[in-house]
Parts: sequence; structure tokens; C-alpha cells
Amino acid sequence: MAGPRPAQNLLGAAGLMPVVVSMGLAMLMLLPLGSGLADYATPHLVMISCFYWLSWRPLLMPYGACTVLGLVLDLWLGAPLGINTIMLLLTRLFVLNQLKYYKDKNRGVYWGVFSVMAFGFFTLSWLLTSAVAGQFLAADTVFLQWLVTSFFYAPIAFVLGRLRRWVL
Amino acid sequence: MRTTGVRDRGTLTKRVARGRDAFWLYMGLAIALYALELFGSGVPRQVRGYANDLATPVLSLLNEPIQILQSGLERVAGVGDIYLENQELRDENDKLRQWREAAQRLIVENERLRQILKVPEREVPPLATAAVIGVGGGAFERSVLINAGSTENVDSNLPVVDELGLVGRTIEVGLMTTRVLLITDLNSRVPIRLERSGDVAIAEGLNEAFMRMRFLAVDSSVQIGDRVVTSGHGGLFPPDIPVAEVTGIIEDFIELTPISSLSTLDFVRVMDYRPLPPEQDPEPSSEEAGGQ
Repeated sequence: MAGPRPAQNLLGAAGLMPVVVSMGLAMLMLLPLGSGLADYATPHLVMISCFYWLSWRPLLMPYGACTVLGLVLDLWLGAPLGINTIMLLLTRLFVLNQLKYYKDKNRGVYWGVFSVMAFGFFTLSWLLTSAVAGQFLAADTVFLQWLVTSFFYAPIAFVLGRLRRWVL
Repeated sequence: MRTTGVRDRGTLTKRVARGRDAFWLYMGLAIALYALELFGSGVPRQVRGYANDLATPVLSLLNEPIQILQSGLERVAGVGDIYLENQELRDENDKLRQWREAAQRLIVENERLRQILKVPEREVPPLATAAVIGVGGGAFERSVLINAGSTENVDSNLPVVDELGLVGRTIEVGLMTTRVLLITDLNSRVPIRLERSGDVAIAEGLNEAFMRMRFLAVDSSVQIGDRVVTSGHGGLFPPDIPVAEVTGIIEDFIELTPISSLSTLDFVRVMDYRPLPPEQDPEPSSEEAGGQ
């Protein structure tokens, strides 16, 4: 006997919203926003989006979607291929394993968990990129990007929350 | 009831197993792609170029309101200083008129001397003028995406400049877009010359807002405020394009700050500079050709 239908089928086109929104945020990461800081330390909006949707609607952000988003990001950002894919796949694995500990807690806890997770993954991406470059790259830019990403989690999650309540 | 519970547990176990399989499948794919970058030649630049093409329509569309907003903000910010700025511009205009007359005299004289000495032209024509529609958003690369590609005859390794100086060179060319590696990127090396003394060196990108001057001769004298221009060595960049200014000297670390406005780039020019013929397979020698 077939199991319950996946959430995508129950929600119809609205079920694609997390992936579509994340793709839109990936394009936003590419936009030249006109300030030196924005160019060099763009928040990782896709990681924020993936973490948010996985925390609230994990079935709508499957491993396949994380892979495609990561691949597209690597190609668009000019990063070594595979790095963003690995980061987003690990984001899904992390959330699915740890969600039971922070589910239904207040927003500050979600923010804290995201910051800790992002720190680990940015460190990993720094190590992987350094290995491709053949030397240890400057860590301060990664640290700056982690700070900016952590800071931006709250406003982006707020907007995504409004969107989730409105559509899903 | 009990049967339903057992069935639910079975479904859950199957779903967890499927999820684990999917994770390892996609992770294997990601690791394989990474290994290709690490040990192999990486993904062909052409693939990246075409991937950028896919994002172009949306980026161009999103870029419009941003440009309007930015120019609006600049206008609002500039209103307060408009009187002082006007006065400064009048003074500058007077000075520029004098310089223009001097420059015109020199151009004529230079042209006459070139003709007498039969020196070839050094002017590099622009190939395309393009808008910056995207930036390299990662912490590890300094690149921008421009909306000119192979349809405008843009090729890889062409110099890119803005109104002030050198910006970088083209690396990944798609049909409608090209990625430009900025001179501040870690992988960028620009052969340079000190304008004052003529000493040659290399400007090395550091993934920072500034660059480092390397391989300068020991007996060279360098001072803060010295301008550096492209030397023309290596064949990638034409000579005499302004690159940077010396802004710091700490023992053997010479810091260079780019002259071009890299953090606020909006329009750039791709130069049609191809001094070296494209690489070709070596022709077989006459013996080899005869033997076949």
C-alpha cells in the first residue's frame, strides 16, 4: 500500500515556493549593490533560506533541490564546483538531525542555532577553497561573511515567515 | 489500530532509508565535482559562461531598479554640497581648458614625430562597452559579471578598463555575459611599471581592497603616492594603462590601491587587445609529415 502523499503534491504549485524563493535569493546574491562591503561580504542568502525552510517545511526542500541550488550558486559565483552543494546538503542533514532539539523554541534560539551551524560550514568552505587554491586563504573575509550572514538571518527569516504564513 | 501503527513505523523507516540514500547519492556527486576542481582541470570555462547567460535576463531586470535607486540616492546626497561642488568644478574647468590646449599641441607634435620615425599606433580600440550586472558573491573571489559576450566578439583574456584605469581581464565568456577577474583577485598578476622611475614589477591581487607590489628590483626607489601603470610585458595588457597608486610601504611589503573604482563599478570597457596569436597545436615537422 502506498504511503502518504508527499507535501509537494498536497500543496500543488505553492509547494515549489521554497525552492523558487531560494533561487531568487541566489540571483540577489549576484546583484551589484554598489558598496565595497556588499560586494565582498554578501550574506549567504541561500543558506539562510534553506535553513529556514528546512526548519519549517523540510519536505519542500529535498536533497535534490539543495544540490541544484548549490550547483547553480557555484556556477554563478565562480566558486570551485561542489562547495556550495556540500554546504547546502550538510545544512539539510544538520537541520533534520537537530530540529528536534530546537523546534518550537523562540526565534532567538533559531538564530543562535543558525549562527553556530553557519560558522562550521563557512570554516569548512574556507578549508575546501584553500585546498583548491593550494594555500591558506585570508580567513578574515570568511569571518566577515559569516558575521554578515548571521546578522541577516533575522530580517530574512522574518520576511520568509510572512511569506510562509501567506502562501503555505 | 496496532496494525496502523506498525504500518506507519514501516513507512517512516523506509522514508528515512530513502533520505539517507538520497543524501549519499547527492553528496557523492558534489564530492566528485569538487575532486574535479581539486585534481583535474575543473569545469570548462565555457560551461560557466553559459550558466551565467541563464541568469542574465533576471539580473538585467533586477539591476534596473537598483540603478535607479542608487542614482536617486546619489542625487539626494549631492544636493547639500551642490554649491561648493559647482565652485570647485568651475575652477577645475578653467584648469582643464589650459591642459586641453597643451594636450592638443602635444598630440599634433606626437603624431608628426610618429610619422617621421614610423612608430606604429599604440591606441587600443574598445571592443565593447558593458554594464556590470553581477558580482562574485563569495568571500574567495573578486570578479564581476558584465552584459557583453561572444555575440559582441568578446573573448577570454581581454583587458577591461573603466574611466579611471585597469579593472581586470575577461575569463569566462558566454553568449551574452562575461566574467571579469578583477585585479584584486588572488589569482590576478599584472605586470606593472612605476610611472616616475620606469622600474618594472608585478601587482599581485590578495582578495583584499588593495594589492601588493612584488619582484621590484632591490635598488629601485619607490615612494608613497607613486602611480603604477601596465608595463605591457607578458602580452595580456597593453602598456601605460593606470593600475594603482602606492599607498603604503612596510619593509618589503608595498601596498597598492587600485585607481579604478572597483567597489562601485557600473560600466566598463572591454579593449580589443590581442597582441599574441591564439595558441595552436604545433605543426608536424616535415619528417613526421612525410612518414605518415
